Amino acid sequence: MKHVIIGNGIAGVCAAEAIRKLDATADITLIGDETFPPYSRPMISHVLDGSQPHGKLPIRSEHFYDEQKITPLLGRRAGGIDVANRQVLLADDARIDFDRLLIASGADPRPLKAEGLDHKNIFYMRTQDHAKQLVAALDGARRAVVLGGGLVGFKAAYGLLKRGLAVTMLITSGYPLSMQVDETAGHMILDELIRHGLTVEVGVSVCAFEGNGSVQAAVTDAGTRLPCDMVIIGKGVLPCRTLIPRGQIEVDLGVIVDEHLQTSAPGIFAAGDVAEMVDIARVCPWVNALWPEAACQGRVAGLNMAGRPVAYPGSLSRNVMRVFDLDVLTVGNANPRKDSGCRVLQAGGAAQGYYRRLVLRDDVLVGAVMINRIEQGGVLRSLIENRMPIRLPPERLMTPGFNFGQLLL
Amino acid sequence: MKQVIVHPERCVGCMQCMLACATAHSRSLTLFAAVQETPQPKPRIHVGAGRFNEGFPNRCRHCDPAPCQAACLSGAIYRRDSAGTVMINPDRCINCASCAMACPYGVIRFHEDPLGPAGHAIAVKCDNCSARVAKGQTPACVETCKAGALTYEEMGAAMRRKTRDVSRSMSTDADQPAIPAGIALLKSIKQSELQLSGS
Repeated sequence: MKHVIIGNGIAGVCAAEAIRKLDATADITLIGDETFPPYSRPMISHVLDGSQPHGKLPIRSEHFYDEQKITPLLGRRAGGIDVANRQVLLADDARIDFDRLLIASGADPRPLKAEGLDHKNIFYMRTQDHAKQLVAALDGARRAVVLGGGLVGFKAAYGLLKRGLAVTMLITSGYPLSMQVDETAGHMILDELIRHGLTVEVGVSVCAFEGNGSVQAAVTDAGTRLPCDMVIIGKGVLPCRTLIPRGQIEVDLGVIVDEHLQTSAPGIFAAGDVAEMVDIARVCPWVNALWPEAACQGRVAGLNMAGRPVAYPGSLSRNVMRVFDLDVLTVGNANPRKDSGCRVLQAGGAAQGYYRRLVLRDDVLVGAVMINRIEQGGVLRSLIENRMPIRLPPERLMTPGFNFGQLLL
Repeated sequence: MKQVIVHPERCVGCMQCMLACATAHSRSLTLFAAVQETPQPKPRIHVGAGRFNEGFPNRCRHCDPAPCQAACLSGAIYRRDSAGTVMINPDRCINCASCAMACPYGVIRFHEDPLGPAGHAIAVKCDNCSARVAKGQTPACVETCKAGALTYEEMGAAMRRKTRDVSRSMSTDADQPAIPAGIALLKSIKQSELQLSGS
């Protein structure tokens, strides 16, 4: 059986490992445009904030491909798929035959439309190479502008603040991480960042960059000029789907997959940041471009490709981050629409030094936000993921003493 | 292969296992010296209150596949294949708490540990007392548990014994209840106390 995997991110790597575990002799080819050994993408924010060295990024041995008997085609980007002839087309016109294909091409940073993007020290933050460039640019930098208050923008701003830079963050909603947390938690996080020197501009976007070779200022659509000597663009990511032949493989925002992570074309699977499937908490199709999701999806896709039918129940958003003295954990749908009929429980707040919010649809937990005391977050995540009806009063889940034993009857 | 087996119905909530666990993961390995250590050793088994305030000993299940291992951002979590124990490499752990979000049982804690790097908080959890087992000892929590809530035995043997105990307690001339009378009394007192107080 010839397995071909497009993408050597965590989804592709976990899929290859799963295939190899079930089939010692399968032919596995992995196509990746990065030549670096398999590494941890989320850790690049730890490299930026200085808590971890760049050398700690690899999470598999440097002999990974040999050990797993994988044929790596690195430094090459897949350009297309010939579904009828079961071939992957590479940018250099080479064709790779497959019996089973996994599309784990991931996502690229959402590009910014602005003038003067060619100035030096304007970065995206996505790959280990970006991390290396960012750390190099920190030398002598004093003022930074971060575009976007989502996960990437937030982590970029946090890392730069920890490095001692003055940071201005441009966000569209009133607080960062508005997709992940509710307003109370968002303001607790924002206040913590402001206490450490963050400046926030709400509702403005950058239309141009000025400089003299290197960037010196960002110009907003409101006409203000923000002096800076580095910029990080964190406007989210978009699935890499240009290689997908439209009309032959169903595509929405991401590549649509069924419960076995198979696309509309038999024998072709998708996993990770490029895949779109039902979101367990939102109960609608969604792309959850998250690393732990990609790892699990990759593994399940690999098992299915190797011939063991394993269902994936759907994706679930989840995040955990440490923000100076705050530990923030969020799972599922923290901000249900007002007319959704969800019940919301809240406790704590800025004055109490902790915060907890639960969102329930009937007696099933669909979302949770925790600030500090996050150790039981995995229990809540598991309740959401398994759509477990909660049989004890949900208030019990909010108490500091809540533990797994209380769920047993 | 022997493993630690938890019998929550027997736990009286005395927390002796927590003390023994912390001591077993200290530098000095004795209780009186361990309390003087900096950083202070902490337990990796957690006795919480159940629904009726009964004790509930909560420890790592060493799941396979382990969700914490799949979620670990830095590749610090691995399985020691000989015993199936899920381990955290303290020098690779970056204290990101991704494993806390993955663990369905809530058994991972984050703090500086006597056996980890100095001055850095890391993820800490049960290691099946691998250092003690290597010396031919039983895990510390089991050795100290007087209520029989923690045992160290073959899973197959434990299952058979449990099945036998339950079927014996169901027969009409039951000579032995499934739970010792004292422990059963303590649990029913706690439960009635809670019902009387109306919560």
